[in-house]
Amino acid sequence: MSDAPNDLPEATGHRLEELEKGLFTSDLSVNEFLLIKEIGFHPVGFVMGSSIYHTGIQTRKWSQSQELTKLTEAMYNARELAMTRMEEEAAELGADGVVGVRLDVNYYEWGKDAAEFIAVGTAVKAEDGVSRRNALGKPFTSDLSGQDFWTLHSTGYAPQGLVMGTCVYHIAHRGLGQTLSTTGQNVELPNFTQALYEARELAMTRMQDEATRLGASGIVGVRLEEKSHQWGSHTIEFLALGTAVTKGADPVDLATPVTIISLDH
Amino acid sequence: MSATPEAPDLKAVVRRALAALEAPGTESAPTTSDLSIDEELALHSIGWEPVELVSGVSLVSIPVGWWNWGQGEITAAAEAHRHAFANAITRLHREAARAGGHGVVGVRIERAVHPTHVEVALVGSAVRPVGASLAGWETVGLCVGASFVFAPRRSVGAVLGQQTQNVELTNFTEAMYAARETAMTRMQDGALALGGTGVVGVTVEEGPMGFASHAVGFVAIGTVVRPGPTGHQRVAPITVVSLDDAAVSFDARTLE
Repeated sequence: MSDAPNDLPEATGHRLEELEKGLFTSDLSVNEFLLIKEIGFHPVGFVMGSSIYHTGIQTRKWSQSQELTKLTEAMYNARELAMTRMEEEAAELGADGVVGVRLDVNYYEWGKDAAEFIAVGTAVKAEDGVSRRNALGKPFTSDLSGQDFWTLHSTGYAPQGLVMGTCVYHIAHRGLGQTLSTTGQNVELPNFTQALYEARELAMTRMQDEATRLGASGIVGVRLEEKSHQWGSHTIEFLALGTAVTKGADPVDLATPVTIISLDH
Repeated sequence: MSATPEAPDLKAVVRRALAALEAPGTESAPTTSDLSIDEELALHSIGWEPVELVSGVSLVSIPVGWWNWGQGEITAAAEAHRHAFANAITRLHREAARAGGHGVVGVRIERAVHPTHVEVALVGSAVRPVGASLAGWETVGLCVGASFVFAPRRSVGAVLGQQTQNVELTNFTEAMYAARETAMTRMQDGALALGGTGVVGVTVEEGPMGFASHAVGFVAIGTVVRPGPTGHQRVAPITVVSLDDAAVSFDARTLE
């Protein structure tokens, strides 16, 4: 989406140098840390990328449902910048991938249209020295927890990348006549239904396209988020996020799960 | 975190409470801890026992006038933050040592940065070993890094010029990066100073300071670990299907 500039700030150098000397940092819990060690990975460092981005202005028509391409583009670009910077940090550490990736958007007082897009996660490296990078030769990314990562590996799947699709959509307001004619009735509102459908479809399709580019066989843990950010009630961002996975060549024997009754509450 | 500053003396009342614990016959004295029953059992199963609920508190002032205008890092605030944590940790250690503890687990961290001061309160359960314990990994201590920086204001021309565009605000991005990198490096330096090989459970808190619109803060806190005498041990998890009733994930009443 964006032409990734290799532009990590200078201060990053010192932090990454310390990490290269053997110290690791990680936002994994102890359980997640042990599970990741269990399948032969070692955390190498807490990596992050961020971009503070100003979104432009786009005119919307009060009574027309339409995608707001300029806003969609901004959401894509800014997230892409943050993700790419996080991947660069991971690559610098010689990592095979990044697990537990979180993507967030923060709004500050610096300006109404300025938002910070941030991506953080824990870079991991295979202990056997065999590269586990994805089809594009980059560290894989995934928003799966340590537990999910362990399960995925135990069943012979490998994550390829965090894939996303987004669509900022303006949903038309209903005219006065329409509103009056449906008062007191049970009736579907086709214009709203259609607009929401189309926006979701666009977001999902874009996510699938990204997975196809990575040569993935499926996407797990898909989340569909709908946010109005600061655009008012009729403009909504549909964001689809998931981890693209491929099935490994080796057959896997998964032990039959044990059934338990937990005494916890 | 460099040299730990000398913490002021504990209050007389605290000293009396601790002296009571050291009094003869404390072998059978009741112990206090904020651990749950499960946690206490787990602790006993690895040959440790809780001895006392301990705390460490520190407030350090920030000189007036640092937040309002300037550029680069707000060093006075970062220094106050470092100082407050170092004091609180020293006091926590001291209380734990007096109670006969070898470490403190389940430490709750309460932390706040105000315009005029930084406030840190740590509360945890002091524990001591009662038998041989095998440790694959050992916890060494807490490490903290904080940094506060000014985000430079944009010129009026720049604001107007960028009004209608999709564009990255590089000056803000750089300020956030500076705060983050400095804080993370300080946390790492703390971990290295404690002789750790890793930091787990890192939590980060970041964002603008509520009372100063153009100052941003970044604080990272984690637990320093290093491999113990036996080195890393495999945990060999088994997969289970829990037969507990599934949590309600859909509630029609929430639809409005």
